[in-house]
Amino acid sequence: MESKMIKKVKWFWGWADEKEEAWLGEMAQQGWHLRRLVFPTVYEFERGEPKEVNYRLDYNAIGRKERDNYLQLFADAGWEHVGELSGWQYFRKEARPGEPPEIFTDNESKIEKYKRLLSLLAALLPIYIVTLNSSFDHQFGGFWAVVQVFSLGILILFLVAIFKIFRRIKALKDG
Amino acid sequence: MNEKSIEKYLPLSESTYYILLALAEPLHGYGVMQKVEAISGGDVKIGPGTLYGAFSKLEEARLIRMVNEEDRRKSYQLTEKGEAVLLAQLRRLEVMVANGARVKEERSA
Repeated sequence: MESKMIKKVKWFWGWADEKEEAWLGEMAQQGWHLRRLVFPTVYEFERGEPKEVNYRLDYNAIGRKERDNYLQLFADAGWEHVGELSGWQYFRKEARPGEPPEIFTDNESKIEKYKRLLSLLAALLPIYIVTLNSSFDHQFGGFWAVVQVFSLGILILFLVAIFKIFRRIKALKDG
Repeated sequence: MNEKSIEKYLPLSESTYYILLALAEPLHGYGVMQKVEAISGGDVKIGPGTLYGAFSKLEEARLIRMVNEEDRRKSYQLTEKGEAVLLAQLRRLEVMVANGARVKEERSA
């Protein structure tokens, strides 16, 4: 029996993980269940029963040593690990009365998640600035002008991402 | 163990307090989740993301230590330092409750 599958291409920013969780939940309500994540923006869904499912994302680039222990903890709590993409761990659990639908049950640990994301960006930034700097060693004009504009665009994106995540953390601290 | 090294961990967050309370006996992750829910009469539930982070931080601070690893589950228990921190927090809460109750009574008298 063949099972229907569809692919969707969608991009979610790191600070919009709750939007992504909501979207995956909506897909499940329509009977489309996440099956596979393909770098960088492809989601594969398979056909199934429409169900109310909670999807939750953790940003945690778990190393091989810790992986089994980490996943087992979630599995014991009823969370199925659907996949992993660039350090983001995708979990889902069918909504049931009395079952807490959150993997993070206090603000502190939610803040820790965004701090992990922030430290990755902060670690990449100096590397990026060095490469940006060296691209400016070349003369203005032609190919290098395109590279410079592109590089500047990415730098701005970096800074926007860092700012947005800071804002997310602040909202959690205040809320 | 001097007072200052204990004090710096206070006040504990609600989740952390209950996790330490549960680890008076060795438990693995899911065991902690269940015990916290039982101790708190269903009021406090700890999610796996929160618990995993808490275990890492508490182990690093040497308030708990891993005592066993079986079937991909790590079991933890309070260290002496962890027990001291927990007791200090409990004492502090008891004092706050007593003071609050006294003020409340004085006001209604």
